[in-house]
Amino acid sequence: MKALARFYLLAILVFLYLPIMVMMAMGFNDSALYELPFRFTTRWYVALSGNDQLISAGINSIVIALITAVLATLAGTMAAVALDRRAVRGRTLLQLLLLPPIAIPWLITGTAMLVFFFWTGIGRGMHALLIGHVALAIPYVVLVVGTGLRTIRSDLEEAAISLGSTPLHAFFAVTLPLLTPSILGAALFAFAVSLDQFVISYFLSTPGFATLPVQIYSAIRKGFTPEINAISTILLVGSMSVIVVFAIFARPGGARDKR
Amino acid sequence: MPADAIIRPAASPSGAAAGHRLPSWFATAALLMPTYGWLLIAVFLPLCTMLVFSFMNATPMGRAPIVFTLKHYKAFITQPYLVGIAWDSLVIGFWTTFLCAVLGFFAALALARATIGRARETLLILILLPFWTNGLVRVFSWTMVLREGGFLDTLWHALLPEAGSIGFLYTRPAIVLGLVHGYLPYMILTCYIALVTIDDAIIEAAQSLGARWWTILTRVLVPLALPGLTTGAILTFVPVIGSFMEPRILGGRVGVTMGTVIEDQFTQAFNWPLGAALSFTMLAVILAIFATFSGVLRRNAGGVA
Amino acid sequence: MTNVDITSVAKTYGQVPVLADITTHFAEGSFTSLLGPSGSGKTTLLRIVAGFITPDSGKVAIGGADVTETPVYARNIGMVFQSYALFPHMTVAQNVAFGLARRGIRGAEAKKLVDRALDMVRLPGFGDRRPKQLSGGQQQRVALARAVVIQPSVLLLDEPLSALDRRLRQEMQVELKRIQRETGLTTIFVTHDQEEALALSDNVAILDRGRIVQIGPPAEVYEQPKTRFAAEFLGDTNFFKGAVSNGALQLSDGTSLRTAAALPGNAKAMVAVRPEKMQIVGDGTEVEGASNRISARIDHVIYAGPALTYVLTAKDGTSLKIFAQNRTGTIHPEGSEVTLAWHPANTIPMEDAA
Repeated sequence: MKALARFYLLAILVFLYLPIMVMMAMGFNDSALYELPFRFTTRWYVALSGNDQLISAGINSIVIALITAVLATLAGTMAAVALDRRAVRGRTLLQLLLLPPIAIPWLITGTAMLVFFFWTGIGRGMHALLIGHVALAIPYVVLVVGTGLRTIRSDLEEAAISLGSTPLHAFFAVTLPLLTPSILGAALFAFAVSLDQFVISYFLSTPGFATLPVQIYSAIRKGFTPEINAISTILLVGSMSVIVVFAIFARPGGARDKR
Repeated sequence: MPADAIIRPAASPSGAAAGHRLPSWFATAALLMPTYGWLLIAVFLPLCTMLVFSFMNATPMGRAPIVFTLKHYKAFITQPYLVGIAWDSLVIGFWTTFLCAVLGFFAALALARATIGRARETLLILILLPFWTNGLVRVFSWTMVLREGGFLDTLWHALLPEAGSIGFLYTRPAIVLGLVHGYLPYMILTCYIALVTIDDAIIEAAQSLGARWWTILTRVLVPLALPGLTTGAILTFVPVIGSFMEPRILGGRVGVTMGTVIEDQFTQAFNWPLGAALSFTMLAVILAIFATFSGVLRRNAGGVA
Repeated sequence: MTNVDITSVAKTYGQVPVLADITTHFAEGSFTSLLGPSGSGKTTLLRIVAGFITPDSGKVAIGGADVTETPVYARNIGMVFQSYALFPHMTVAQNVAFGLARRGIRGAEAKKLVDRALDMVRLPGFGDRRPKQLSGGQQQRVALARAVVIQPSVLLLDEPLSALDRRLRQEMQVELKRIQRETGLTTIFVTHDQEEALALSDNVAILDRGRIVQIGPPAEVYEQPKTRFAAEFLGDTNFFKGAVSNGALQLSDGTSLRTAAALPGNAKAMVAVRPEKMQIVGDGTEVEGASNRISARIDHVIYAGPALTYVLTAKDGTSLKIFAQNRTGTIHPEGSEVTLAWHPANTIPMEDAA
């Protein structure tokens, strides 16, 4: 029974990873029409280095992900601290309000942003994308940092206060250093959420300003080329590494180990 | 050491000089302000605006007067083809959710009962890893496998060189396959969380009472995993109903769903009010499904307690 | 080192009164235990002295200065928490130096004070370790050093020993008492462990439902409990109910019990007698003047080697418990009728009669 279960898990992993592997391999295949037999080449990656449109889209993606990570982590950490450590009226309602950005289909959120930003004159482009990405990342930050906060006993802060710290000093001297792994994890998470975000970016992009996923999407709609495989591989490897680093930081009990 | 040696006149803590203090609620509000202010501007106000738009006659352009109407909510009556598309979307949603639930439940079960320690942790991370990578890229990966002359065909022809193509890109099963690939990790996670807490003793007790594996599965494991299955089903069904990129890439010409119709209203047809009305109709359907499921969930929880 | 005065302090959470009009005095250099069941308000009282909770009404004064409106960090208190609450990201020395740094004491002077404090809690040379590398008892000592090194006006201990196992707890009780004597700090100690309270304190305050029902030296509180609650909470007690006649307590079966203290004027009264104060007549252990006598039947004998516990029923139906030293090796059989005797001085009238 156990052997069967393990075989089944292996099959699931094959299902999850095989298409990705095939896609990656095709980015190293010489044929522009994905024809076999396989002949190794890096020419699609070389071609990529001359594709200014994709490169600038890639830079846009990283810049937006970085700014999103900083802003969402700042705002989300503050909210998580308030929700976990302070007397808040309507705490349950406030926590529920974090769900819509996660739970409502991005198609609806994205088109709603499009309509609102058009109507108010905010418009589309980089600033609009930032507003959207930060809003999507904040709930995740609050969840990750909130979970971290719950592993730090609040009597540590009380001990610091009893020794003469103001509540503010107690937070910075005691809670914040202990919370750092969670905050870094949340920032990585926010970075990954933004880097992978397609739907909202798609509605808020302009012809002059697009992120990598938006650019890839329009390329796919035009037809498949191994260059798309190459850039997809780079994006995939990039976000997988971010998430693996996150998994190491936020491993259950990771924060506790550091106590 | 004489006790008096460490007794010095008590120095006052530096905080003693703290002057005027702001009220506590002020600090709390200041901490909450950025998050909820941001969500207000980026999510809640846009949703409200879109609700208003859904009652408009046409996309407000130039100086044309704005006329309010209910006609976009009657689109399902006036444009009967939408009913068919909505039905197709629901069918895709149900199939995806069903396949995710079956595959995910057994994967979670295998994970919870046949692995331990570091191996389990690694497997869990491996399973969840794709979920946090770009969905678009993963959907694109499937085109490499499913297209005529793609990976699947190559395998097939290696076995049977004379056979025809079995590539099924641009069909509805291709859409479902891509969506299952996208949302399976979440289902495995929610089921795993529910199953991992089950005590070995419960299963041993059932075995000692003479229960067969089928009975244990249907009477013990599935009911205990039900909260996880329900959560996973909601988290799969909702985004699948709103998907448009997967049907477009994997479905090609047959990939017309509510998601693509709504997208068209915003990007091609420029009929924002219709798109908004369809979005809110979809949201209403989703909420109705939420409500039904949470009712079932609560009754189940009550039954267990 | 200063005294602490609580004046008419009350605290209510929603509709639930947690503390009702507490007025008490903690003398300079004294060690006072707040003893009571959970929900009695003892922790709330401690946290009001610390400043973590603001009372709805009343005043808290430390060293004569009203600190009711003073925030915790400006009160100069030393507090030891149930969970130790050591800062996990700092070394032992950094933990102990934390409060000194807040008072502007750093560098060589701080190091000298930290070393002395660690000497005092018998952890010399532990300064560079992390809290995680210490045992529970050692962590508790560090917490104590951290609270004491700042020379607080008052030392507040919130069930500091409850997380330790029994042997370690007894060891730490001795240490705690020694350190308190050495530093001479006014100490308030919250506990639900009656033996701990009796062993450590100069004064024991018994709390019940937000009130201090009795406060005094351990021997006084134990030997002369004022109320049924105080008598029951602190040790085992036998109670007799009856009518007052001719200055004695008349039980329903006619037996008359004398008391050394005057019985209240009411017609009905209740007295308490500690189980170890009663003896079985004919044991050869009779004490002169044990003039209160009743007959009872032995229901159970619990044999515990050096000591015996008898569970009995008196003639009037009262169930009784007595403790006897196993001096002669003879055990009265279950079911036998015996006579119990004790001294009127050990017959304590209860203020909250019947």
